[in-house]
Amino acid sequence: MIYQTSTLAIIVFAAFVGLVLALSFWLASRAKSASGYFAAHGQVGWFVNGIAFAGDYLSAASFLGICGMIAFFGYDGFLYSIGYLAGWIVALFVIAEPIKKLGKYTLADALNAKFNSRGIKLIAAITTLVISLFYLVPQMVGAGALVKPLLGLPHWAGVMMVGATVTVIVATGGMVSTTWVQFIKGTLLVIVCAFVVVLLLQRGFSLPASPIESTEVQTISKGPSGTIVNGEPLSLENQLDSGLRAKHGLGFGSVAELPNGVNSTGPLGPLLYIETFSKSTITTWRKGADANGATTYTPVPRSGQDLLLPGSSPTFQSVRSDGIFAKLDFFSLMLALFLGTASLPHILIRYYTVKDAVAARKSTVVGIGAIGLFYILTLYLGIGAMTSGSLDPTDSNMSAPLLARTFGNGTFAVISAVAFTTVLGTVSGLILAGAGAVAHDLMKDYWGMNLSDRQQVRAAKFAAIGLGVAAIFLGVFFEKMNVTFLVGWAFNVAASANLPALVMLLYWKRTTKAGIISAMAVGLVSSLAWILASADTLEKVFGFSAADAATSALVPFSQPAIVTVPLGFVVLILVSLFTSKSPTTAE
Amino acid sequence: MNQFNPRQRLWLAPTLFWIYTLSYAAFVVAAAFFTFENGDPVGGLAQPAFAGLSFGVVAGFALIFGAFVLAMIYALLGPREQETPSRSNR
Repeated sequence: MIYQTSTLAIIVFAAFVGLVLALSFWLASRAKSASGYFAAHGQVGWFVNGIAFAGDYLSAASFLGICGMIAFFGYDGFLYSIGYLAGWIVALFVIAEPIKKLGKYTLADALNAKFNSRGIKLIAAITTLVISLFYLVPQMVGAGALVKPLLGLPHWAGVMMVGATVTVIVATGGMVSTTWVQFIKGTLLVIVCAFVVVLLLQRGFSLPASPIESTEVQTISKGPSGTIVNGEPLSLENQLDSGLRAKHGLGFGSVAELPNGVNSTGPLGPLLYIETFSKSTITTWRKGADANGATTYTPVPRSGQDLLLPGSSPTFQSVRSDGIFAKLDFFSLMLALFLGTASLPHILIRYYTVKDAVAARKSTVVGIGAIGLFYILTLYLGIGAMTSGSLDPTDSNMSAPLLARTFGNGTFAVISAVAFTTVLGTVSGLILAGAGAVAHDLMKDYWGMNLSDRQQVRAAKFAAIGLGVAAIFLGVFFEKMNVTFLVGWAFNVAASANLPALVMLLYWKRTTKAGIISAMAVGLVSSLAWILASADTLEKVFGFSAADAATSALVPFSQPAIVTVPLGFVVLILVSLFTSKSPTTAE
Repeated sequence: MNQFNPRQRLWLAPTLFWIYTLSYAAFVVAAAFFTFENGDPVGGLAQPAFAGLSFGVVAGFALIFGAFVLAMIYALLGPREQETPSRSNR
């Protein structure tokens, strides 16, 4: 698509990025030791850490992906909100306090606290790197999606900008600057989204000015002469970006019929807003293909009531099926969301930045409050995007920023800049977790390199640069994928590889180092193999048709957690029982 | 404010955890087995709850608000620093 840039948007964006970079350079002097660089000296206050949790966790997947998914498919995106938030219960009641007492800088420190095993260090570092890279992809894709309408730059330019900015943040101030970037981002994200929701409620719902024109089938094809939209070369006037087309009465995503036959509702309260939506008919857009291979977007009227039920999206359509494997796919994803949060390395390392276990608990509670509030707002943002004539039917990730544009360029500029900061905050945490795994776990502990405190920090900075470059490549390669879908994979791998080892280490005294290593290796390899062999991957990564992907898939459903998490527990228990006589066995 | 004894405070985390986990599991089971029949909504999350909202919307909000409420209960009544077990098995 072609996007018109806004000078105001560019100014706000530049101010945000400048602020973040200035903060990082200013805080760099506090992160010269390993303790400062990896854990901010354990002196971050619990409230700041709690909001930083929100800043770390509310990623591009949460903001762009969930809003986009709700805008396209309704309740299915909200299922992610519920699952992501529920995962914090595991973090709070099962993991937070004991992990704070066990660890120092990294996940490997906690897992290895009683064993002093090089094997645990190695496998923990590998899982940290793999999970962080999986999680990095959607963030970078989100960054690329954002700069297109904001700065008029191509996808790869946005990916490179985020990669470069984040590398500077992590390479200068480590956990100190990352914490404050995440704190600012978490605060801004919740406040700005709440502001947009207030505007939405004030506006209520209304029918579009030209309902007939906005319900024509749209076609897009790509050939040697470029992109053809509805039979004509792509231009500002004929593209499917509603913000521009709305000027011609061609907005996408609209209300076809309101309750009681009214044309406009006026301001609505939060509950009445949902109720009115559920009693309305909405024009949604279904992607398909015509006989010539062109992509088509066909308007489909649907009841709001149906859109507030699960199963409209390809990811969750299994919930409406009667097949047992389809049900298992749904259970598996919901399980991964529930168990994955407490297994994410970039979340776990944030527990080392507070002074004690009670501070860890309090910061988690603050995080749950901020994250929960945000996830409630996502339902309103998604419904607003679905009904405001602002959708780009070719790109779900842009739904929230394009919704903001319906309230004026100022709102669009601020929300796009906040979204960009959102990506910065999460990517900083991921790269820091990966850098710690390389410098602290692999170089110092596994390979036994005799690194001084400062050398360890320098190694972590070089690792951060390497991870930043890798993230840029991955972000360009996976451009077209919905970011929420990709994060689902990261949660599956994290839950499968890390959770059994963490839980059993904390709560089963007979756990051995061989048990931990085996469970992590099996969890990691089995979940990755399952994902690679699944129909979803064949279709969305390797370009198979849906029918070919279904017949070629080697596993009966796409989400592995329901198999691979229990597998990790079984392997850990069996191996621990067989190796319980070893010298390192727990008493 | 905290009337629990140390032993009760230690049991608070697992109790609250299982309350929430069972609620979440019930929600997922309701979505998968009680909402659709042959692809059509028949009950479960599709049932009307209150204020014109379906059970699916109400349950989703309840799970999000409920997580915060349980977290606050734990923050106020949970073990104090010196009572928290290390769980390190060391």
